Amino acid sequence: MSIRIQRVPSENMAGGLAARLIAIVLALSIAAIVFAMSGADLGKLGAHVFKSTFGSRFGLMDLGLIVTPLILTGLAVTVAMKVGAWNIGAEGQFCAGAIAATAVALFVPGPTILVLPLMFVAGAIGGMLWILIPTLARAYADVSELITTLLLNFVGALFIYYLATGPWLDPSGLSFAATKRLPHDVPGFWGDVHWGLPIAVLLTVALAGVLNYTRWGYEVRIAGSNPAAARYAAIPFRRHLIVVMLMSGAIAGLAGMFEVIGTTHRLQGGISNNFGYIGIMVAVLARGSAIGVIAGAALMAVILKSGIALQTQGVNISTVLALTGLILFFTAIGDELSHYRIVRSKPA
Amino acid sequence: MIMNVMLDVDRTAASGVAVQPIVSLRGVAKHFPGVIANQDVDFDLLPGEIHALLGENGAGKSTLMNILTGIYRPDLGEIIVDGQPVTFASPVEAIAAGIGMVHQHFKLVKAFTVAENVHLGWSETPGRISRDLLEARTAQIAASLNLAVKPGARVSDLSTGEQQRVEILRVLSRKARVLILDEPTAVLTPAEAAELFKALRQFAARGNAVIFISHKLDEVLEISDRVTVLRGGRKVTTKPTNECDKRILARLMVGQEVVLSNMRERKPGAKPISDAPVLSLRNVSARDDLGNLSLKNVSLDLRAGEILGIAGVAGNGQKELSQVLTGVRRASGGEIHVCGKDLSSRGAEEFAAFGVGHIPEDRLHSGLAPALSITDNVVIREYGKAPLSQGWMYRPSAAAALARSIAEAASVAVPDFKMPVRNLSGGNQQRLVARREMRIASNVLVAAYPSRGLDVGAINAMMSYFTELRDAGVGVLFVSEELEELFKLSDRIAVMFHGEVMGVVDSSQVDVETIGLMMGGQRSLEAGSAEEVR
Repeated sequence: MSIRIQRVPSENMAGGLAARLIAIVLALSIAAIVFAMSGADLGKLGAHVFKSTFGSRFGLMDLGLIVTPLILTGLAVTVAMKVGAWNIGAEGQFCAGAIAATAVALFVPGPTILVLPLMFVAGAIGGMLWILIPTLARAYADVSELITTLLLNFVGALFIYYLATGPWLDPSGLSFAATKRLPHDVPGFWGDVHWGLPIAVLLTVALAGVLNYTRWGYEVRIAGSNPAAARYAAIPFRRHLIVVMLMSGAIAGLAGMFEVIGTTHRLQGGISNNFGYIGIMVAVLARGSAIGVIAGAALMAVILKSGIALQTQGVNISTVLALTGLILFFTAIGDELSHYRIVRSKPA
Repeated sequence: MIMNVMLDVDRTAASGVAVQPIVSLRGVAKHFPGVIANQDVDFDLLPGEIHALLGENGAGKSTLMNILTGIYRPDLGEIIVDGQPVTFASPVEAIAAGIGMVHQHFKLVKAFTVAENVHLGWSETPGRISRDLLEARTAQIAASLNLAVKPGARVSDLSTGEQQRVEILRVLSRKARVLILDEPTAVLTPAEAAELFKALRQFAARGNAVIFISHKLDEVLEISDRVTVLRGGRKVTTKPTNECDKRILARLMVGQEVVLSNMRERKPGAKPISDAPVLSLRNVSARDDLGNLSLKNVSLDLRAGEILGIAGVAGNGQKELSQVLTGVRRASGGEIHVCGKDLSSRGAEEFAAFGVGHIPEDRLHSGLAPALSITDNVVIREYGKAPLSQGWMYRPSAAAALARSIAEAASVAVPDFKMPVRNLSGGNQQRLVARREMRIASNVLVAAYPSRGLDVGAINAMMSYFTELRDAGVGVLFVSEELEELFKLSDRIAVMFHGEVMGVVDSSQVDVETIGLMMGGQRSLEAGSAEEVR
């Protein structure tokens, strides 16, 4: 009789969920031990964190504002993964979308009802343009999109700094590093939470449907999983790669558009807040499932908001980041472990 | 086999020279999951000899040499060097015992000079040394071994033959007494090969020994003193080369006991072989991924209701042939007709639409998307047709139903159709691929090495699928390196060598030896003169 560990072929849903819950509890416990050792009042900290997330109307509104860009950037990364591409550049496409939407807001006169759709389209096109070169380089020269999309992030972020401190600086002189208050808003949906949130959720559901219930979605799946098999089955890998990567950029661009028009109302440096990078984590948590992006984004939003709450209580930012990392680390271990089971067997 | 070993011993005794072998292998066995790579192999290498190791692909030559050079450890048996049993934990220990190998694909650092490559990873390399001294050392070693190299040249600037000489120098500089060469002439021009043979004879004449791996009969006859033939992982025999000719070697290499079972016979009611070809190629040429012309002016006809076997040592254009015939690779010249329709410049989609199914070589890499579900994989040929698709809509439920029926036809028990297809065994993957392709193969099925890596049960399933198609009036093009299979199944056999068809023969009127000779580059014996071979 021996005991060995066996990898199970198909993952088990309940096990995966349980593994994640255990991961979060374990990470929080370790954090609690560290806080307790450094003399913090755990009860007070916990109560404060709860109040500033689920425990209050403002907490929930903040969560809603944070989760919107995360759903979109997470979706952008997930969609690209479907065709076998790593879009590390959601951050840069987010910036490009924000810039394009701001340009429309600043320079296109007209009533909000007409300008808003224009800003929406501009945001998407901005993101698309930002991923265009990496896409073509990958499709025609097999240049790794990992590097090219990543590098363009810095270009996007710095370009915003340039615009917000230079040509587009608020002429009133009231701010040093932002544009003026933009004349249009995304309409409110619930309190401060704007219509970006339901639109992001709808977009996610719609894309999940397209990927699962259209011929196109099937072809993208095959092409992304094995280009050689696609070639064998006469599925146009390159065309799908280009279309899906541009889509990915457009979705990340929309995240930037909603952030600037719906949340910050000004284009300012640092507006992307790492949402693009965190989108990669969201996608990893979602494990390639478009619907899973919503859950992954929600988890990340809670972690981020809790971190902000902890910082107001004097916990330093490094500790907060360590805690975030810990949760993700444990989740990853849990995900992997949920693929295994222990079997008892007689030795052969 | 035992007889032969005894004969060897007798001869050694009779010649009165009781020579101790430099290296002996005794009862060596190596098993990989599902594969016997080597079993009961005895092998003696005498000083001063060039010993050829002959066998088809998969005969176990490489595994045996990997055991001898410390890359693998044998499951059973022992390695004896100078009369002492040894175990090698790594190639470093093997080279320390004087056994070195030159691999078919060189293991040189291209950006380094010859001198640097020779001294790389060598315990005798001085810790600090100037470039000039290093090159001087190299020149000195090369001169002492009578190998002409340019110590200061970068390896990337050298010709293939020169690179091979650097590899040999690398091995010999470490005082190797046994030099193993894996198909060394495959990359050489005839002049370079002659040069190599000269160097090998000189090396052996100094009391060293060479093991020369090859499946080219001419070469083996030219260079070797003795030849050992492996087949199916076992040693067939060891013979002095002067007692052999091409015919004997071919017979030994491919085996005589080909079972001519009756799979070639038709069931009652089977459709007859058509007069007009269902697939025909006229002077088709194609290039491989590196741009080399790997298919040269091939003309073939495949008729409905027949199985045409393609024989040949792997890598002689069979892969490109099967890709060209299914639209996956474009022909660079010539014409391909399916049912009289010219598809020469069409893609995989049109070939599939014209009823050409394709079981690709290397199913995991090109026939399947390993990480995707079984359902996604088995519907890859029909996802665009009703009922799986209606307009642009794709119906997962219809796909699942089709997947179930394909799995049933293939007799594969699938616990969960959402499971990644890579979790199935190779045999079950291949059954699914085969059944999937049979559904669209209304005119032609191209099967490239369909039984490679499979167990007997799955191989038999493949064979019965092909006869089923043949009897239904489909033309089957069956690429294999197993002559036994080819004889069992094919009505005619085409033999490929260096991208060309050496000839097409009727499998009921040809013997294994003739095919073996054609695989080694002999033209078809259309004049019927088997005697010309000699």
